[in-house]
Amino acid sequence: MEVKIEKNEDITTVKFKGRLDTPASQEVAATLLPIQENAAGTIILDCEELEYISSSGLRIFLSLRKAAATKGGKVIVKSINASIRNVFMMTGFLNLFEIA
Amino acid sequence: MTKTTKLDPHCEAIVLEYKDNLPLLQKMETEVLGKLKGMLSEIGLLVAAVESRVKTESSLRGKLELKGSKYHSLKDITDILGLRVITFYIDDVDKVASAVERLFTVDWENSVDKRKILEIDSFGYLSLHYICSMPEYPYRFEIQMRTLLQHAWANLNHDTGYKSGVEVPRQYLRSINRLAGMLELIDDEFSKIRVELTDYRRRVQALVASGNLDEVPLDGETFRSYLELGPFNRLNKRIASVNQAEIHEVPLMPFLPIFKGFGCKTLGDVSRIVKEYSEGAFQIATYQIGLTDLDIVASSIGPQDLCIAYLLKQGSGKAGIRLMFDVLNGQSESNDSLAELLLEQAKDLPFMNQ
Repeated sequence: MEVKIEKNEDITTVKFKGRLDTPASQEVAATLLPIQENAAGTIILDCEELEYISSSGLRIFLSLRKAAATKGGKVIVKSINASIRNVFMMTGFLNLFEIA
Repeated sequence: MTKTTKLDPHCEAIVLEYKDNLPLLQKMETEVLGKLKGMLSEIGLLVAAVESRVKTESSLRGKLELKGSKYHSLKDITDILGLRVITFYIDDVDKVASAVERLFTVDWENSVDKRKILEIDSFGYLSLHYICSMPEYPYRFEIQMRTLLQHAWANLNHDTGYKSGVEVPRQYLRSINRLAGMLELIDDEFSKIRVELTDYRRRVQALVASGNLDEVPLDGETFRSYLELGPFNRLNKRIASVNQAEIHEVPLMPFLPIFKGFGCKTLGDVSRIVKEYSEGAFQIATYQIGLTDLDIVASSIGPQDLCIAYLLKQGSGKAGIRLMFDVLNGQSESNDSLAELLLEQAKDLPFMNQ
């Protein structure tokens, strides 16, 4: 699992590549902790190359969203593929996120 | 280049005192603003804006040029720090005033309730001004309290000459007064509406609590009260139990337009859908998550699958399901694929064949 972070003024883009499964989630959560702590701007979760998301991965997205909401920022989930969209739908999280 | 007005030595001394104490005035501004905002938050009063400013040197010079002999020192300039609280409702002005009285020492001799000094046949600048102080600081400050409409009036009227006392032709003065009267009426009407809405909420909550759901029309207020009863909790728990999943609470108000779109007129209609389609919703959820290891679901899973079950059973087809996702998630072509997937899955679900 690869995670790339790009910062442009108050927009932070997180690019995921690979499978965000339970073993990968712990490391990814640690990598994203600084973003969670400074979530006042816009956070774009670019999922174009994300192949799979587990419950642990969903929890990371939810933590980021919660932190952003508390600090006046927002989270946009971008370019999710059909199977990840289905995961969002069948868990009921589809309408919680702004999906671009 | 800014032109600096040359004042007499007495006024220049006041300006010098101002310059020497500017950091102190700024510190006082931060503290007063913090206390005021903190108190408004504590009493749960939502206001349109809280503004503050320390008078600029040029503004101070302008004031001293006009009436400098009136002031002995900077302490006499009561608006050297000015704050303004702009409320949405007229009756909130008094609530803000009460909060200010609790926080600061009010100089009643110099405070003005402009709402009371107007003649009975005139309208206009109806705001409340308090001159205040705190024991920690030697300077006083002014807090203006007004409604959004009073604020609009003050700003719009600023250039008419009315406020500055310049003679305004009678026909224009009459128009200005009519406008002021109208704004005052609107402010009063907004307050009345708020009181009536609060009464409506109380009545609705009582009806919902008593279970007379067929008597409660479906709208934003009633649906919110209904949600407090947790109408989808049982279904959500049943769905979550399939994978021993955690239920993550999310807002459910977005489902109001969906139920309205189904033709629900009362909370009783919504309640009947919950009762009749819960089994279908459970079958959809089980089919989808039963073979996964997903152990977290949103509290919207119940109402979402309930609405899907209703649409499937009503034969609304792809267009109906797509419309539901468009309303919930925003319009997107990908909602078509979700609708297609659900129609495919529905073929295997027992409730569809009952």
